[in-house]
Amino acid sequence: MTLSLFDQFLSPVVCWIPLVAIAITLPWILFPSPTTRWLNNRSLTSQNWFLSQATSQIFSPINPPGHKWALLLSSLLIFLATMNTAGLLPYTFTPTSQLSINMGLAGALWMGVVILGMRTQPTHSLGHLLPEGAPALLTPILVIIETISLFIRPIALGVRLTANLTAGHLLIQLTSTATLAMLTIMPVTAIFTGILLFLLTLLEAAVALIQAYVFVLLLSLYLQENV
Amino acid sequence: MLSRLQAISVKVTDPFVSLSLVQASRSLQTSSQRLAPVPPLPDHGGKVRHGLIPEELFEFLYPKTGVTGPYMLGTGLIVYLLSKELYVINHETIYAICIGTIIVYGVKKYGATVAAFIDSINEEKVAKAQAAKDSHISFLTEAIENEKKEQWRVEGRGMLFDAKRNNVAMLLETNYRERQHMVTNEVKRRLDYQIALQHLNRRLQQEHMINWVEKNVISSITPQQEKESIAKCIADLKVLAKTTQAKAAA
Repeated sequence: MTLSLFDQFLSPVVCWIPLVAIAITLPWILFPSPTTRWLNNRSLTSQNWFLSQATSQIFSPINPPGHKWALLLSSLLIFLATMNTAGLLPYTFTPTSQLSINMGLAGALWMGVVILGMRTQPTHSLGHLLPEGAPALLTPILVIIETISLFIRPIALGVRLTANLTAGHLLIQLTSTATLAMLTIMPVTAIFTGILLFLLTLLEAAVALIQAYVFVLLLSLYLQENV
Repeated sequence: MLSRLQAISVKVTDPFVSLSLVQASRSLQTSSQRLAPVPPLPDHGGKVRHGLIPEELFEFLYPKTGVTGPYMLGTGLIVYLLSKELYVINHETIYAICIGTIIVYGVKKYGATVAAFIDSINEEKVAKAQAAKDSHISFLTEAIENEKKEQWRVEGRGMLFDAKRNNVAMLLETNYRERQHMVTNEVKRRLDYQIALQHLNRRLQQEHMINWVEKNVISSITPQQEKESIAKCIADLKVLAKTTQAKAAA
C-alpha cells in the first residue's frame, strides 16, 4: 500500500487490533532477567556489562541518597535506547516519537525529582533558583528566570526527544522518497541522494542512542540538584 | 467471592485430585524439576545460514529439493510478493536497503571484535576466580612445607638440648677448675708467706748472733794480744819469704 509520510507515526493497528502495547513492551522481551548462572552467554554478558558501565557513569556524581533512583534511571535508559534503535528498522513504529509517551515520562519524572527536593531539603532546592556568584542587583530578575527555566524543563525534556526522533524519521522518509522518485528519472542524482540517505541513517543511529542518554543524563542532573 | 475462592481452593488441594492433575500434565512440563546443578550452556548457538535462516530449514528441504531448494523457495516467495504487489516498493524499501547495508556491514566488520571483547569479560571473571584459587592452593602448599620443616626442626631439638647441656657442663667444669686453681694459689701464697717469715727470722737471728760474736771477739782482743799476734805474723811472713826464695833459687 502506498505510505504517506506520516503513516509511520500512526499508532500501529492490525485488523483494528492495537499493537501499541507490544511496541512499548518490546525492550522487556529483548533484555532477559538475570540468570542463575555465573557465566552467561554473550548477549546477556554484553547487556550486563553495558548496564553496569552506564549506571556507574551516571550515578558516580550523585550523592548516596540519589542511588535509590539507579533502577529507575537505568531501566529508563535501556527502554529509550531500545525503542529508539528499534525504530530505525523499516516499517517499525517508534513509540518515543510520540509526544504523549515522552511528555508522560518527562513530566512525571521531573515532578518526582522536584517534589523530592522540596520535601527533603526545601531550602537547598529553592536555593537553586539563585545561582551562586550572581550580582545582588540582578536577584529578582534571576529568580524569575530560574523559575521559568525550572518549569520549562519537563517540556524541554519531552519535546527534545520527540522532536529529534520525529525530525530524523521524517528526514529519512523524505530522502528515501526523493531517492525512489529520482531513481528512474535522474539516476546519478538518486545515487547522491542515496549517499545522503546513508549518512543520514548513520546520524540517526547515533542520535537514537545519544538522545536516550541525554534524557537520562538530564534527569540525573536534576536529581543531583535535589537529592 | 472470597468464600467461592476458598471452596475452589479446597477442591483443588484435595490430594487425590491434585496428584492426578500433576501426573497428567507431567509430559507438558518442560523446565527442569531441580534448581541445581544448572545444565551447561552449549558452546555455540544454533547454526544459521546468511545470518538469518536456520540450518534446519536447509536440512529439512534437502531430501526433496536438494541444495538449491531453499534458495528457490526464497526467490519464489520474493518474486510472488513483488509481482502480486503484496509487498509494494515504496520509500521504505530504499531505506530498508540502506539500513540493511549498514547493519550487515557493521556486523561483518565489528562482529568478531565485539564477540572477542565479550568473551574477554567472561575470561577475566574466570581468570580472577582461578587466580584466587591458585593463590590459595600455593598458600596452602607453602603452609604444608613450613609445617614439615617445623616437624624436622622438632626432631633436631634433642640434639640441640644435648649440645646445650654439654655447654653448661663445660662451663661448670671450667668454673670449678678455676676456683680450685684460685684456692691452690691462695694457699701457696700463705704458705710462701710463712716460709719467708721463717727465713727472715733465721737470717735476723744469724746476723744478730754474728754481730754479737764479732763484737765480743773484738772487745776481747787486748792491745797486748794484738801486738803479739802482729809479731807472730811478721815472723811467719819472714819464714815464708825465706822458704819461697829458697824454692825459687832451687
